[in-house]
Amino acid sequence: MLTTLLLLPLAGILVLWLLPKDMAGERYQLMAMVVAIASFALALVLGWQFDVTQPGFQFTEERVWIETIALTYQLGVDGLSFPLLLLNGLLTIIAIGASDRHITRPKFYYILILLLNIGVVGAFSARDILLFFLFYELEVIPLYFLIAIWGGKRRGYAATKFLIYTVFSSIFLLAAFLGLVWASGISSFSYEDLRSHTLSLTPQLWLLGALLIGFGIKIPFIPFHTWLPDAHVEASTPVSVLLAGVLLKLGTYGLLRFGFGFFLDAWTYLAPWLAIWAAVSALYGAVCAIAQQDMKKVVAYSSIAHMAFILLATAASTHLSIIAAVTQMVSHGLISALLFLLVGVVYQKTGSRDVTYLRGLLNPERGLPIIGSLMIMAVMASSGLPGLVGFPAEFLVFRGSFPVFPVPTLLCMVGTGLTAVYFLLMVNKVFFGRLPDYLAKIPAVTWGDRLPSLIMAALVLWFGLQPGWITRWIEADVTYLMGEPLAPNMASSQLSAQVASPALLPEVVAIAPTLGDD
Amino acid sequence: MIEAARSPFPLLASPHLALLSLPQLFQTIMTVQTLQPSKHPLASAIHALESGEALLPHSERNLVEVVGILKSYGDVLDAYSINLNYIADHQCLVFFPWFKYFNGEFSVQKLLRHWWHDRINYEYAEYCMKGMFWHGGGGLDAYLDMAEFHQRIEPLIQYKFKYNPIILGLHKLFPEFLPELVRQMCLYSGLGQFWRVMSDMFLSLSDRYDQGEIKTIPDVVQHILDGLVAAAANPITYSPTVGKSSFEIIPESQGITFLMDTAVPYVEAIFFRGTPFPGTVSYNAQAYQIPLYQSDFAYGALYADPLPIGGSGIPPTQLMQDMRHFLPDYLHEIYRTEGRGETDLRVKICESFQKSMFCVTTAALKGLAPFPMDTPHPAEQSQNRQYLEQWMNRFTTSRLSQVRGGI
Repeated sequence: MLTTLLLLPLAGILVLWLLPKDMAGERYQLMAMVVAIASFALALVLGWQFDVTQPGFQFTEERVWIETIALTYQLGVDGLSFPLLLLNGLLTIIAIGASDRHITRPKFYYILILLLNIGVVGAFSARDILLFFLFYELEVIPLYFLIAIWGGKRRGYAATKFLIYTVFSSIFLLAAFLGLVWASGISSFSYEDLRSHTLSLTPQLWLLGALLIGFGIKIPFIPFHTWLPDAHVEASTPVSVLLAGVLLKLGTYGLLRFGFGFFLDAWTYLAPWLAIWAAVSALYGAVCAIAQQDMKKVVAYSSIAHMAFILLATAASTHLSIIAAVTQMVSHGLISALLFLLVGVVYQKTGSRDVTYLRGLLNPERGLPIIGSLMIMAVMASSGLPGLVGFPAEFLVFRGSFPVFPVPTLLCMVGTGLTAVYFLLMVNKVFFGRLPDYLAKIPAVTWGDRLPSLIMAALVLWFGLQPGWITRWIEADVTYLMGEPLAPNMASSQLSAQVASPALLPEVVAIAPTLGDD
Repeated sequence: MIEAARSPFPLLASPHLALLSLPQLFQTIMTVQTLQPSKHPLASAIHALESGEALLPHSERNLVEVVGILKSYGDVLDAYSINLNYIADHQCLVFFPWFKYFNGEFSVQKLLRHWWHDRINYEYAEYCMKGMFWHGGGGLDAYLDMAEFHQRIEPLIQYKFKYNPIILGLHKLFPEFLPELVRQMCLYSGLGQFWRVMSDMFLSLSDRYDQGEIKTIPDVVQHILDGLVAAAANPITYSPTVGKSSFEIIPESQGITFLMDTAVPYVEAIFFRGTPFPGTVSYNAQAYQIPLYQSDFAYGALYADPLPIGGSGIPPTQLMQDMRHFLPDYLHEIYRTEGRGETDLRVKICESFQKSMFCVTTAALKGLAPFPMDTPHPAEQSQNRQYLEQWMNRFTTSRLSQVRGGI
């Protein structure tokens, strides 16, 4: 089934490639949309069959691919990866729907979007670190071209910067993965095989350090973040949606899956520092967002701040905080995608994202009242207003992390408070006040323009009212993620327990009996 | 300022430029040229008026907009005036006039339509009446404070409440309460009569345009000016009916006339001063965010910002909403094919309406000028210049610049 999820977009790419070059852009878009919807429908079918009570990978597939390098084609999804797989399917549809109908080189554009989809699906469903790395690298190629060809005026600079950063990210990841296999002394890249081997703390620290840099660039955390605002500003709206909505999640997913899953001793050792890193990243992102004049940069820096909450929750490593990390990933994916969609509409209609230029766009007759209303809803969701998806996600993060890291959690809470500051500043400047004469003749927003945002807004509201629809996927897997390598590590490494935050221990101990019962 | 200009209507006794002989015309042109250009910020508007043009520059587009919108305005004013006159004549001293907007023709079907809001917003007419009532000015306003007014309304009050000793007792206790209600009724009637004339004037303008007689903006101004001149001396009277009896509250003998006692106060109250209301103007009177004196108010139609139109219950929105029902096809088609089509129709109507109001204002300015604009005499030209510059001082914060600039 998971292979079909990869083959469907691949078939779509082939069909698009075979289509004549001179067709109208809408035809390619329709074709890509059909493929994306079919893939998402298949993912929903998988979701229907997914047993949320069962920890571990499901729908597993395994084939030897290149025996000489021990590369196996192992697929499977668990509660950590499956919500992100669904999010990717949804956002691919949204991105295709939000794409400009008159885009240049539409055939190539939609091929790249589908290729991106394959890369992300593959990375989330891989059960082999080398396979993960291949798919992780695969998504870089289309993303580079999507920014470099269909981006803004400084697209070349932004795409190159993205590529350089990502290449360095990949180098660190590959080094960590190869080092893990080498240090483990086994000839397999399989998750299960690697998880069953426990390394001593020192190599764990080295390997985790490499992973943190590699994924820290991808997510990104400061000081590795500078590629992201440029990439967002120059990327077209659909690419920003995919980038913020799901591609950055590859980094947090990697941290949870590998950093937390494979190097728990080192993770525990570094956890206090990771929590501080999260707090600094959250505050820095928020403060930078306040200073921005470009709406997209505000959202981009907001993204940096909110992704830091995932690091905080993962660092805390409590049962609740791991659920929170996954919930925050989905929540941020939905909210940031909605924000970028709305900023995209504003830019499309006014030709500007400058908060000092835009004003009064809530004007009911000549402004963008529905887009403005959705924007207010989106920023409220991002600020953690109850009833919207941001609230349960951030509440879980803070509730799960506070007992372990109270000060960094409080600092992150300040960061979420600052979310209201920078977003309300932006909304106040852009949407309130009198619509100036130079904006009084902006074109009307069609329902086609609004539809992607409306779908995302509906989901932001729905999951805000029913957060259980997100958390239920991961609940069973938290024990699996934390537990199986945890018990032997905790037993063998007293150092971990000594250096880790004392508050972590009750949580760990609390999990141990559960494992024993199982 | 309008009070100061109260004088015999100058154009009635003045020669018109077209009647001048060729040497006189030459002399006129020469003398106009000898008058130094105005240094007023709105000098271009002053020069336009002096050369016989209107505040609104002529263009085919402006003409279509102005005539079309005045046609729909004429239809709306027709409805407003009928209702105002009905209320004044038949709802006098009715404390709870539940069905005052039904013009005496109540039915469940009309009530349902009213609740569904598929109707004319008569509230806007009342808003204008209140504006006139509040700002005052003119002979009608002055009469309402005279002893004769009190003498005339007392029989009406006694008749109306002859079986209601409580109200009559309260009348003794609060002797200004019931007269104030009757004063308000007088304003209902005065505005109703004024709009009756204006409605017919605007509808006849549309008819003349359809017949090809109106070709330029100055033609529009002239039509309005002629209409104002023709109706200038029309008496404004008021004789409400209570039961089967009629009471003469404003007799013709008071000499209250159409132009000076209703039109001029109306222009002052509605075109210029207006009222700040939530939704378009955010104000805090205690923080002196509105002028201390009513005479300094500048919230009228000539100052209104078309963009905030769209908030339900806000008076300009109500008028624009009413006018959209009566747009002539040619104007509706223009609106439909431009900008956002029907979505921002009310803003477009407001923009056109503002243009048309500057035409009405031009007619009023010309009519009230101390001398005809085409006077060949330098002294008269100089006085006209002074007169226009004084008026233009009031226009500096109005929408005149935008309207003239085509924004």
